[in-house]
Amino acid sequence: MEYLLNRYRTLSVLLLAILAQLVLLAYQVKSNGEVRLIRVWAVTAVTPLARAIESTRGAVSRFFSDYFVLLDVREENKRLKKELDRVNMDNQYLRSELDTADRAKSLAIFQSRSPSKTIAAHIIGNTTGSGAKTVIVDRGSASGVQKEMAVITPDGIVGKVVDVYPTASFVLLATDPSFAAGVISQKNRVHGTLKGQGGTKVIVDYVQNEENVEPGEWFYTSGDDGIFPKGLPAGEVTSVHPGKSKKEIILSPSGFQNGLEEVLIIIEGVHAPIPELPAPHQQIHVQPPPPPETSSAQPGGASGPPAATAPPAVPLSDADRILDRYRQLGIAEKHEWGVRGRGAPDFNLPLDAAKPAEAPKPKQNQ
Amino acid sequence: MTEFTDTFTEPRRKRDAASRFHTAAIIAIPLAAILFQVYVPQFIKYLSYLELPLLVTVYFSLMRRSPIAGVLFGAGIGLAQDSLSSHPLGMFGIVKTLVGYFAASMSQRFEVENSVVRLILAFFFCFFHQFFYWVLARALLGEGLDFDPQQTIVVSMLNAAVAVPLFHILDKLKVTG
Amino acid sequence: MLTPIETERQVPETPRQLRDDTRFALGRIVVFQYLAVAIFLLLISGFWILQVREHAANDELAERNRVKTVPLLAPRGKMLDRDGRVIVDNHLAWEVRLGRENLKPEHIDAIAAGLHLDPEEIRAKLRRFASRPSYVPITIKQELTPGELAFVEAHRDAQTFPELELIQHEGRLYPRNGLAAHVIGYVGEVSEQELDSPEFAKYSQGDMVGKFGLERQYNDTLIGIDGQKRVVVDSLGRERQVLDDVEPTPGHNLQLTLDLDLQAVAELGMEGRRGAVVALDPRSGEVLAMVSRPAFDPNLFATRIRADDWKNLTSDPGNPLLNRAIQAQLAPGSTFKPIVALAALESGAIDENYTVRCGGSAVWYGRVFKCWVKGAHGPMNVHTGLVHSCDVYFYNIGNKTGIDTIAEYAEMAGYGHKTGIDLPGEAEGVVPSTKWKLRNFREKWYAGETISVAIGQGALTVTPLQLAYAIGGLAMHGVWYRPHLVKGEDPGPPRRANLNPANVDRVLDGMYGVVNEAGGTGVSAAIPGIPICGKTGSAQRISNQLAKSVKATKEMKDNSWFVAFAPRQNPEIVVAVLWENAEHGNLSAPIARDVIKAYFDKKARQTMPKTQQMALFVH
Repeated sequence: MEYLLNRYRTLSVLLLAILAQLVLLAYQVKSNGEVRLIRVWAVTAVTPLARAIESTRGAVSRFFSDYFVLLDVREENKRLKKELDRVNMDNQYLRSELDTADRAKSLAIFQSRSPSKTIAAHIIGNTTGSGAKTVIVDRGSASGVQKEMAVITPDGIVGKVVDVYPTASFVLLATDPSFAAGVISQKNRVHGTLKGQGGTKVIVDYVQNEENVEPGEWFYTSGDDGIFPKGLPAGEVTSVHPGKSKKEIILSPSGFQNGLEEVLIIIEGVHAPIPELPAPHQQIHVQPPPPPETSSAQPGGASGPPAATAPPAVPLSDADRILDRYRQLGIAEKHEWGVRGRGAPDFNLPLDAAKPAEAPKPKQNQ
Repeated sequence: MTEFTDTFTEPRRKRDAASRFHTAAIIAIPLAAILFQVYVPQFIKYLSYLELPLLVTVYFSLMRRSPIAGVLFGAGIGLAQDSLSSHPLGMFGIVKTLVGYFAASMSQRFEVENSVVRLILAFFFCFFHQFFYWVLARALLGEGLDFDPQQTIVVSMLNAAVAVPLFHILDKLKVTG
Repeated sequence: MLTPIETERQVPETPRQLRDDTRFALGRIVVFQYLAVAIFLLLISGFWILQVREHAANDELAERNRVKTVPLLAPRGKMLDRDGRVIVDNHLAWEVRLGRENLKPEHIDAIAAGLHLDPEEIRAKLRRFASRPSYVPITIKQELTPGELAFVEAHRDAQTFPELELIQHEGRLYPRNGLAAHVIGYVGEVSEQELDSPEFAKYSQGDMVGKFGLERQYNDTLIGIDGQKRVVVDSLGRERQVLDDVEPTPGHNLQLTLDLDLQAVAELGMEGRRGAVVALDPRSGEVLAMVSRPAFDPNLFATRIRADDWKNLTSDPGNPLLNRAIQAQLAPGSTFKPIVALAALESGAIDENYTVRCGGSAVWYGRVFKCWVKGAHGPMNVHTGLVHSCDVYFYNIGNKTGIDTIAEYAEMAGYGHKTGIDLPGEAEGVVPSTKWKLRNFREKWYAGETISVAIGQGALTVTPLQLAYAIGGLAMHGVWYRPHLVKGEDPGPPRRANLNPANVDRVLDGMYGVVNEAGGTGVSAAIPGIPICGKTGSAQRISNQLAKSVKATKEMKDNSWFVAFAPRQNPEIVVAVLWENAEHGNLSAPIARDVIKAYFDKKARQTMPKTQQMALFVH
């Protein structure tokens, strides 16, 4: 017997280890509960290490970039300029501030300009494992972070806080399939729901086919979702197709364009207006990034009255159209409805002929 | 320990010998591997395919040659990895427990110092790891992740390729004598 | 988690010779080990399935987390006009339901805020449905706006508000501006009282049923049969697999007799006014147009109507929820005179030559009754009496005919009874008679009352629909088809009255004169080339209730009535117009005129070649 126990000691340990973990899993699955304590320990233990690494890396990379600038100023200058141009186009808020191409500085500037109260956070890790697109940031409940807070960069939205630990938080990225946020188009103020797809692009759902959305147009947060304050850039439309019952809109999320290192967590959001078509800070002569396959809708100053007043494209029934038609006929013939006037109007008057001139020239009928 | 001295020193029985490591190394190396996996892929996307914690599990299990140690090792690393993930605790734990156990069992039958053996074993365990994780996620969590065998093979091969030099470096940390 | 290395022992503690001797046996043991692991895993999976998954499945709660039943809501049938043009359409909409087994009470405030609801309303609803099984979700909002959709989508993940469920359905799309609102009616969520009644037993909470108008009358035709699909969802809430799928059956479309052309013209004629227009085809009883103003916007009801919208509608002094076309019971005034004339002629109380001299007023039973005209009409016969609507003439013939004969003919024409139109809530009106008075007031009829009734006043009340119906049947020489709104519906055999055609023609000639003779009260309804007959009427706003408050009546302006049909021979359309508080009788005539013009213009259009029609009218 002892022999058997000895023989199967390893096996027992293995089975015990697996059993224990299965029970742990079962508990989590069944109670939908969280074994928070273990996570809190783990995250809290890892955070300072990760933060240390991150700051070391930051310092080292800064040192090296300075070093290389000195080493080969021209080369680096070229690269920087290129980078600057890109950032310049992408970043609507910081165009004048980009001389230094210092992201940290621009972040700070954005932070001070933004009406919302934000705190800056470093991304210190990805969550392991496949599936969810989640990153770890180095700010947690100790800094006032709460679940469901918005995470942004000056370029746009990044995601939302899904888990908070004392010194760190998990941020669900906008590209995750379970992410959704309310957005509104800049031109026609079309409301929709931004949804992650698991890839690099996101979609805007629930936009009716009747609505007008163009490639190259920008979407901003609408504030409808209760997470993001209104007026933050969300992304640029890369393609629009009419779908079966609603439009299929693909968006390139702007928050990720320049890589993710530092982000802002919105502690207290303040809704801001959606920028009018000629983007804000007009003193800088840069349009919002040109669409890849230019729709060339409004070059430069040609954007006269903003189309923001366009009526919502609520579908009309035949009844509405016929009523409108008769109303037009009445106007064309200067008919006052229900008043004796000059007698009954001619309801067979061709409307187009009647409109321009008072004297109608009805099309000759046989 | 004395009764094993003969086994230990006998050249023919070398593959049955357990390597020993500093406790510090045993704690620091997995931690570093996990940190690497959490931290580095945000700068170099492709490195997210690298399963360093797994390779470390495989390495220690292979070299320690004790299934019990392998089990505890795998469970430890797996759970640590779980707690930094967004899925329920235990997923990586169970998978890595099994990997640790099997790796240690294998070590008793193969010449684990041999690079070719290491390459093959690393490949096998990577594939097993990915596959079993998928099975677990599907069966236990009802997550309908897709399993792409082709991609898994490629990823496993990459990991195996990294495993050989990595194991070689880790060999240096062995406490000899 | 790691055992110190120093204490770690090498596994094989078996005697060395055993190992050496029995490699074969060792191999077998290893195989046995793996087998044991496999069996163990098998057992574990069994344990898992039994204890975690199956247990949860019995639990219904977690089952729904994995296998979800998604209702596929059937669209209601559309409503089309007589030419197949769409009056009531559907559009894609979303509703949100609260899955109660996941519900955390502390979430309600946040959910209510995001959906612009009153949290107390949700709580009250939860309490009301507390007795229902908890796996039945309750609908808390329909027709979500894009913003509310975004809110639901952003929060319905497992970590935030997993109790939110999003369901797609076809929402009702009604015409704007309340066009034909009273005819169409509206749908609404089946109320809890209704749910308790057997009529609605087949519905469940959140179902949309017809509440008013045709939506209610033909609810069973319009409503579809909901389908459902059972899907497997993963822990992220994504659909992975459809287990089974029962397609919804859409409701049947309803083709109405309404003609949108005429309806539109009638609507425009009544815009900003209070009253009703009814246009019928007297040859079939088909309702061509029916307008009641002020109207309401049925789109407000397409969802659950907001409490303040409902309050506004019900407290509006104009009473927009009243379908005046079938529910306004008002004195018909002079539009009743053709019936009185017919009764007098048919009963032999007078002959066609009977003449009365109008001196501007007359005394009956000790009371002075005035003619509406300032001055006097002079000598009047049946024809001129109708053309000039001379009150004194009708006092005389009414008195000669007697109240019971007048009542007999009035009822023959359809007054005092429901016409039987396929709309809920039709009013009957009142045709007073000696019997009526005895029955209702236990009083004798006073002859003086007959004088008032003779000019369409007194206790006599009619609805606009009854007026159109009565005159339409008269125009058909005594054939009354039941008015109806659904095309193809069998109106049943008409009511026929055995009338002397000569007498009817005398009355109809008078009505022709009203519109087409100099001095006629309805000349503003004339259209060159179309023989229109009509009759104006202006009536004091006397209803049984209001009659008591004399002060109120004095302050109210008269109601203006007009009824007309065309052509004089073989009439095709009859139009009744009520314009409340319009002051003067002939003011509503142009409204009827425009509707009749629209009818004949459309008829002309339909004889044009197709291409020209298209050019004229782009639908």
